[in-house]
Amino acid sequence: MTDTPYALYRCENCGHCYDEALGAPEDGIAPGTRFAELPDDWFCPQCGADKAAFVRVD
Amino acid sequence: MHDDLIPPELVAPAFNPAAFAHRDDIHALFTRLRRDYPLSKVEVPGFDPHWIVTKYADLREIARQDDIFHGGDRSKTLISQAGEALVRQYTGGQANIFRSLVQLDPPEHKKYRDVTAAAFSLDGIKAAMPNVEATAKLYADKMFAGGPELDFAQEVAFLYPLKVVLDLIGVPEKDHAKILELTQWLFTYADPDLKRPGSDLTDPAEITKTWGIVFDEFEKYYMPVIADRRGCPRHDLASVIANGVVDGAPLEHRALISYFIIASTAGHDTTAATTGTGMWQLAEHPEILAQLKANPDLIPSFVEETIRWASPVQQFVRSATRDYEIRGRTIRKGDLVYLSYLSANRDEDAFVDPFKFDAARSPNRHVGFGFGGHTCLGIHLARMEMIALWKQIIPRLKSVRLTDTPRMAESEFVCGPKSVPIHFEAEPA
Repeated sequence: MTDTPYALYRCENCGHCYDEALGAPEDGIAPGTRFAELPDDWFCPQCGADKAAFVRVD
Repeated sequence: MHDDLIPPELVAPAFNPAAFAHRDDIHALFTRLRRDYPLSKVEVPGFDPHWIVTKYADLREIARQDDIFHGGDRSKTLISQAGEALVRQYTGGQANIFRSLVQLDPPEHKKYRDVTAAAFSLDGIKAAMPNVEATAKLYADKMFAGGPELDFAQEVAFLYPLKVVLDLIGVPEKDHAKILELTQWLFTYADPDLKRPGSDLTDPAEITKTWGIVFDEFEKYYMPVIADRRGCPRHDLASVIANGVVDGAPLEHRALISYFIIASTAGHDTTAATTGTGMWQLAEHPEILAQLKANPDLIPSFVEETIRWASPVQQFVRSATRDYEIRGRTIRKGDLVYLSYLSANRDEDAFVDPFKFDAARSPNRHVGFGFGGHTCLGIHLARMEMIALWKQIIPRLKSVRLTDTPRMAESEFVCGPKSVPIHFEAEPA
């Protein structure tokens, strides 16, 4: 368990947001999954951009 | 699922621009292909063999791997053997007349995309929004002042996105009509109402002839603009493109002109198609208008659904740079792959009730903007300008109905409604 607040990441390609607090259960990613924990080959579910296209926005 | 080649007579309409004007029929065709031939090859007379990709998952897998499935080695859009031969003659051996972002492949593609990436980024478009919102108000005001009857496609949908993008580029208003005309020659080269006058649609190489003329006309138009912006850069997209640098050098000539072409054409025609589609839905389904008036926060998801529904870029063609296994099939090196975005956006395995227009659909992971590295550069502009327009129109619209049957353009590539005749009633001022 950690006190580090969850962060929001946005895909620079399409604007899709990944919220660590929410995860992406529809894609099998549990709530609370940190962005850094996503696989390196994970890509934006909306537009297919690489993980590297995401930037932290908060 | 069949393992054989798809009977060519079954698929032939997907190779015929006129077929796309009959939406029910073309959707019935793709529905059947998804069910019976989800990834199979076809040999339509006059065309090289193509794999027809109709399933959402397959399209995403292939589209995302633009290092394996190229757009520049062969024609990026559907073309006959005769048409492709003429392209190679016209270009001295190249497969495409245009060398826009659409036709470029890695690693060159990203270098060229980076030239305007900042301008089209979320922050770049946010900076442009005051002008976009003013233009949205202008066209909404025109609509309500000129009503209660108009052809929404011709008087609003064609013109609003045109002005938005051409203002961003820095094209003076006196030239907007010419750019619209060239756009329609390009994307609706086969439509009887929108095609280039004098074009011969019985000629299988007509697309090449028209596209060659379009390239030449845009080149003639933009060469002085480029010289002007290189001598005196302004705060516009023309200056960004004209002064763009790739690998330390100015953009290669054909790619430079093509960059202006894609911004001047794809930068509005697709949004026009989607906007016209949105009004068509509102006019046919009063419950959608009521839903949006009661919940204006749904306007962004309404916009997403219009993009899925319209799928204005209906297909692109890629060529395989190596053998690739997918869905138990082997696509061989050199094979052509016809990606149907129109079909993928109605895939029953990807969308709940795909043939229901749901303004509140969420999530809505359509592929209307593409998928992967070639995702539409103008994605943020397109979304924001459509949201801006509907935020102007919907609160002021009490009711709207069709006064005649809308008509789709005849195009196998970029396609949308060319006529959406409506009668509306405005809310009291």
